[in-house]
Amino acid sequence: MTLISTWSPPPGLSTETSLPSIAPRVSWAAFWLPVAVGLGFLLFWDAAVRFSGSELFPKPLDVGRGLLELGQKGLLFKYIIASLFRVTWGFGLAALVGVPIGLVLGWYPFAHAAFNPLIQAFRPISPIAWIPVAILWFGVSDAAPIFLIFLASVFPIMVSAMAAVQNVQAVQIRAARNFGLSSGELFRKVILPATLPQILTGLRIALGVAWLVVVAAEMIAVNSGLGYLIIDSRNAGKRYDLVVAGMVLIGVIGWLLDLAMRQVERFPSVKWAYGNRGE
Amino acid sequence: MPFFRRVLPAILCWIVAITLLHMWVNLGSFTPKSGSGGSAAPFRVGFIPVTCHLTCPVTHFINDSLQEESNFEPIRFSAWPELKEAFLSEHLEATFILAPMAMALREQGVPLKIVYLGHRDGTTMMVHKDSSIRRIEDLRGKTIAVPNRFSNQRLIVFRAMRERNIPMSQVKLLEMPPPDMPAALQVKAVDAIISGEPFMAQTEMDGYGRILFLTKDVWPDFISCVLAVHEKTIRDRRADVQNLVDGIASSGKWLDQSPKHRMDAAEFTGKNYYHQDPALLSFVLSKPPDRVKYTNLRVLRKDFEEIEALALEAGVLSGKVKFDDYADPSFVPDEASIKPRNWELP
Repeated sequence: MTLISTWSPPPGLSTETSLPSIAPRVSWAAFWLPVAVGLGFLLFWDAAVRFSGSELFPKPLDVGRGLLELGQKGLLFKYIIASLFRVTWGFGLAALVGVPIGLVLGWYPFAHAAFNPLIQAFRPISPIAWIPVAILWFGVSDAAPIFLIFLASVFPIMVSAMAAVQNVQAVQIRAARNFGLSSGELFRKVILPATLPQILTGLRIALGVAWLVVVAAEMIAVNSGLGYLIIDSRNAGKRYDLVVAGMVLIGVIGWLLDLAMRQVERFPSVKWAYGNRGE
Repeated sequence: MPFFRRVLPAILCWIVAITLLHMWVNLGSFTPKSGSGGSAAPFRVGFIPVTCHLTCPVTHFINDSLQEESNFEPIRFSAWPELKEAFLSEHLEATFILAPMAMALREQGVPLKIVYLGHRDGTTMMVHKDSSIRRIEDLRGKTIAVPNRFSNQRLIVFRAMRERNIPMSQVKLLEMPPPDMPAALQVKAVDAIISGEPFMAQTEMDGYGRILFLTKDVWPDFISCVLAVHEKTIRDRRADVQNLVDGIASSGKWLDQSPKHRMDAAEFTGKNYYHQDPALLSFVLSKPPDRVKYTNLRVLRKDFEEIEALALEAGVLSGKVKFDDYADPSFVPDEASIKPRNWELP
């Protein structure tokens, strides 16, 4: 049994003009099951801290009080905005650079052969290793964490765009050529629609990575953000409630960002590629 | 494609909205700037939230409170590597930094000068309250967490062991960021921890840490951090450097002038600069009152020659540079001439 209603593939591209609702219909179980698991996790967390007798690790209520304190001081809103700003720009620039480069490298085998080894060599380098470079180049402004987030997300985007172009069926391209499509038309009417689903999957993965590195990126001398909250709280003595509060906020906002990206995947011009098994 | 017609405007609206919100709530871009600072180029000074660097925020707070024309801008860091890199890349004009680290940088060709000290004493070695370690000799075979290989906290262990004829091979030194040390001691992951304050006092306040020694009892007038400035900055902006040193020197005297000043500093620094519990800073600054001192901070040859010898033994310096290469004591020729800031917390 699927939890979300299934979607029937459109008979043709003309359905783009009558978009189905992109809001999912959520069943009773789809809402209450995760709530029950979440509550169970909180109870387990509380019991584990009490059982261990730890004086340092906070209980869920301590974290709740920490969040309340941050809210009352007005820091919660400020820090969330700061992190979202840096991730928006870092990820946005990565998409702007990564998608076109990936498409070009995927389309021209010569360019792929030339640049792919370099890209694959840069890809595994952790953003933490780039911190000294970020400071040397960008100093202590917002540009340094944005650069780190850019680096973390540009390679997954580039690689997925590259693979997407390489996966386009040769028969589709030949058919388009036979219809006399120009290069521009071929890109707009065949390549782009065919690659869009895989590019969006790459963007979704990259957004997760971008949000993941926010703590490392905000280790640089910025004075706001959820990553900064964690680092600042470590410097503040025994405020592990705020450290965990920062972790909880990063987790929840990361989940919401992923949900937002999944909404994009519901468009007919994207959804055709995902089959009809729902979620 | 309808996809792009619907998604792109939403993305653009989000980018504009989040940028404006960030500029408003975090950068204060829509708030009129106050008068202090004027149009002069900023003079940025790096610091870390430890009591060794307390004179930095105290000077800034007093300047601000007196609405003095000042371009002095303290920049807070969370860890040594980021602070060092920002200084090396000249995004900071000056910085508070570990003394052996500044000397090692000079040895590696970085044109800097140590112009003043950050403090005297202000470091403690803590053991767990249940520990069998009662004296320094008991550290044989134990693991001690130190903040950095270029820290005088590491060198003081070398000094203490040498005085007791204990070879360094009999103790294990482990580098650990000071904020992580209290938790490591609490769970007994290490046998002893040593760093600047307030991280050591935290373990004492929370009841699981016991003082093994205060630096003043093992290495009197101990120096951990110094104020370092680029030689180029000294050449091009000598008046700004002099203003900074004067401000820090007189703020140090103000801190040591009365216990009330120290409590006031704990309050406004804890809340506005360090984001630490003011009660913790009050504890460090009062128990005992000479746990950390902010007077007698002139750069003296004999102090640094001792650090040089220990750093050589510890393998962090090679002895290529001497006092005159890395120090410039000319900004405070006479310690007695410094008067405490004439200021009281309103």
